Amino acid sequence: MTQHRFDSRDRLDDHVVDAMRDLLSPPGGEGYWSELEGSIMARLDRVDLGWWSEFAGWMRPALVAATILILVATAALLHRDQQVAALPYENLLATGSTHPLPDELSVRPVAQGDREATLRFLFAH
Amino acid sequence: MASPRDATADERMLVRAAKGGSQEAFADLVRMHQRRAYTVARAIVLSHEDAEDAVQEGFLHAYRALDRFIPDQPFGAWLNRIVSNAALDLVRRRKVREAEPLLPDAVALPFRDPSESDELRTRLGKALQRLTPRQRAVIVMHDVEGFTHGEIGVTLGIPEGTARSDLHHARAALRRLLQDLKAH
Repeated sequence: MTQHRFDSRDRLDDHVVDAMRDLLSPPGGEGYWSELEGSIMARLDRVDLGWWSEFAGWMRPALVAATILILVATAALLHRDQQVAALPYENLLATGSTHPLPDELSVRPVAQGDREATLRFLFAH
Repeated sequence: MASPRDATADERMLVRAAKGGSQEAFADLVRMHQRRAYTVARAIVLSHEDAEDAVQEGFLHAYRALDRFIPDQPFGAWLNRIVSNAALDLVRRRKVREAEPLLPDAVALPFRDPSESDELRTRLGKALQRLTPRQRAVIVMHDVEGFTHGEIGVTLGIPEGTARSDLHHARAALRRLLQDLKAH
C-alpha cells in the first residue's frame, strides 16, 4: 500500500471534481464572504456582552429576593420603633420596683396608724 | 494558497492583537481563514446552512479559546480543527434528532448527459451523502481544496496515513456510486 497507489491511480475524473467544487461552493459569490464575516463579528459582539447577559437569568429570583429583603427590613424597623416607643413606660414601671418611693408616699399618715392600732386592739381583746 | 502550517509574521501579530482584545485583529483573522473554514465545514455537513453554522460556532469557540492558543502555531490549522469538530458535532446532533434515512434510490436516478451540470450535481450530492462525514471531508479537502494528507490529518485529528487510506476508500466509494454515470 503505497502513497503512489493512493494518490495517482484512483484520482477522480476532473468533471466530477469540478462538479463537487461547484456543489460545495457557497451561494452569493464574493459578496457572501463579507456577509459571513459580518455575522461572525456580530456574534462575537454578543459574546463580549456575555458576562452581563449571564445575569439575565438571575433577574427574576434577584427581584424576588430584593423584595423579601425590603419587607424584612421594613418589619424590623417597625418593630424597633415600637420597642423604642414602649421603652419610657417600661422604664417607669421598672423604676417603681427597684427604687424606694419618696418618704412622703411610703410613710403612712400618723392619724391613720392610730386608728388602725385601736381597731387591732379591739379585735384582739 | 498559503499552507495552514505556515504561521506568517502577520498572522502571529494579528493573533497577539486579538488575544489582547482587538476585535479588528480578529476580524482580519476571520477574513483570512473563513473560506477554508467554510470548505472544511461544508465537506463534513454537506448543507450550506449547517456549514455556515459550524463556521460561526468554530470562530466563536476559537475566540473564547484564544487565551489557550500559542501564537507561534498556525492559526488556520488550529481553527480548522475547531471548525471540523463543530461540524462533526452538528452531524451527530442531526443524526440523533432526525435519523433521516437516505433515499434508497438516491444514486439510481436516470442520468442522461454528464455535461448537464444540474443533473450531475444532484447525482453527486446524493452520492456524497452516502459517504461517512470523515470520508466526505477527506475527499473534498484533498481533491477539491488541495489540502495535503498531513493538513487533513491535523484538521480532522487523525494520523496522516489514516487520511490517506480514507481518501482512497472515499474515492472508491464515490466511483462505485457514480459508476452508471461513467457508463454513458
